[in-house]
Amino acid sequence: MLEAPFDPVKLAVPFFILAILLEIGLGRLRLAKAEYEARDTLASLGMGLLRGVPALLTAGLVFAATVWAWEHRIFTVPFTAWWGWVAIFFLEDLTYYAFHRLSHERRFWWAAHVNHHSSQHYNLSTALRQTWTGSLAGTWLLWLPLAFLGFSPAQIAIQQGISLVYQFWIHTEAVGRMPAWFEAVFNTPSHHRVHHARNPQYLDRNYAGILIIWDKMFSTFQAELDEEKPRYGLIRNLGSFNILTVAFHEWIAIARDLASARSLREVGGYLFGPPGWSPDGSRETSESLRARWAAREAAARTPAE
Amino acid sequence: MTAPRSRRRQAGGTPSLDHPAGLPESAARRTAAISLPTILTGLIPSGIAVLVLAGLAALARLARPTPPLDEAAARGLLADDFPEAQIDRIWLAADGSAALARSGPRALYLFRLGDAWVARDLAWAEAASAPVREGRLYLRLPGVSPRLARPALAGWVPEIA
Repeated sequence: MLEAPFDPVKLAVPFFILAILLEIGLGRLRLAKAEYEARDTLASLGMGLLRGVPALLTAGLVFAATVWAWEHRIFTVPFTAWWGWVAIFFLEDLTYYAFHRLSHERRFWWAAHVNHHSSQHYNLSTALRQTWTGSLAGTWLLWLPLAFLGFSPAQIAIQQGISLVYQFWIHTEAVGRMPAWFEAVFNTPSHHRVHHARNPQYLDRNYAGILIIWDKMFSTFQAELDEEKPRYGLIRNLGSFNILTVAFHEWIAIARDLASARSLREVGGYLFGPPGWSPDGSRETSESLRARWAAREAAARTPAE
Repeated sequence: MTAPRSRRRQAGGTPSLDHPAGLPESAARRTAAISLPTILTGLIPSGIAVLVLAGLAALARLARPTPPLDEAAARGLLADDFPEAQIDRIWLAADGSAALARSGPRALYLFRLGDAWVARDLAWAEAASAPVREGRLYLRLPGVSPRLARPALAGWVPEIA
């Protein structure tokens, strides 16, 4: 099957709207924690609303490439086989983990993903602050192996949609912690608050889509700590609610850096180094920030002589 | 799980994969279906929903309190962004919406955006030499946005070491 018979994301749109209304209502009644700033909300929802327009530029290419990969598949996974859905649930979620980790650890893909982290708020509208340039950055290539394996383009698209819908509800401060067994296996609001935080000890952690097990397997898991309240946003927060700035600011910054590059090494570093890479190491990366935080913590624990 | 009989076989019950244009037929149909009226039909109601939700968020008054800065608050907020910075001196905007601090050779600038705070750092020499017009400091900031800040700092008398 080539085209998905339904789109989970489209079907979920009424749920998205009702859930945001509920979160605002509960926040207003002080029954749950919910902080909204109107222009921030408008920027987040605007990014979500218009995310499909830039994607049209690559939609044909992405679809054709996926179909081509499927034509050259190793196996055939029947669309109606239950085991096929179990298999793609795990494999797509692992693919999402790889995509998400790449999107944080290499600047070229961070430029496409950074907008999702650019709000200093963490509410359900933040979930819809989606990328405009992800498909142009080629992240869809990571899903092609699933088609080579034999999952149909429709099945891949549906599972991607299910993952996106799942990840909507975890963008909230209204939910504290889920039952322990759930927190152990699934990505939750608590785990994802850590992911959106800019506290040094929380940087580049919890890349999970649906299952948090991948972070635990690959040593990128960090539990939310009661004594360390997440501060949301970027290392250097955006100073604008303009959605064009939100969408393109890191690309503009890359272009400026490339214009000043003096060697191929610098070009490579600015494009594919970790976000914050600089030739002389004068800028801050997640790794350097975390190392300095750890050093400060160690110094604070050392008794004065 | 079964292996396909042929690398180029057509999937049963699915559109032909040998579209003359080189794209799968369904992709071609999909592209043809993308027209301005189609896009607008989807975007207009969604846009209205977005405006309604943002309006409700404003009416609900769920923004964080961001009272005018005093020195202690400014130091605390700057410590979040620059935890190792030793602040020598700090100037506050008259309306409490911004602060500029000197930290050795660096200037640390803090300003309010909505119900949150944003920080930038630049060379102290640049801040100290920035022009002042009608009581406002015209400060060029690093980064993409904003490029210029115009705080009205109380008692601003820069001293270049």
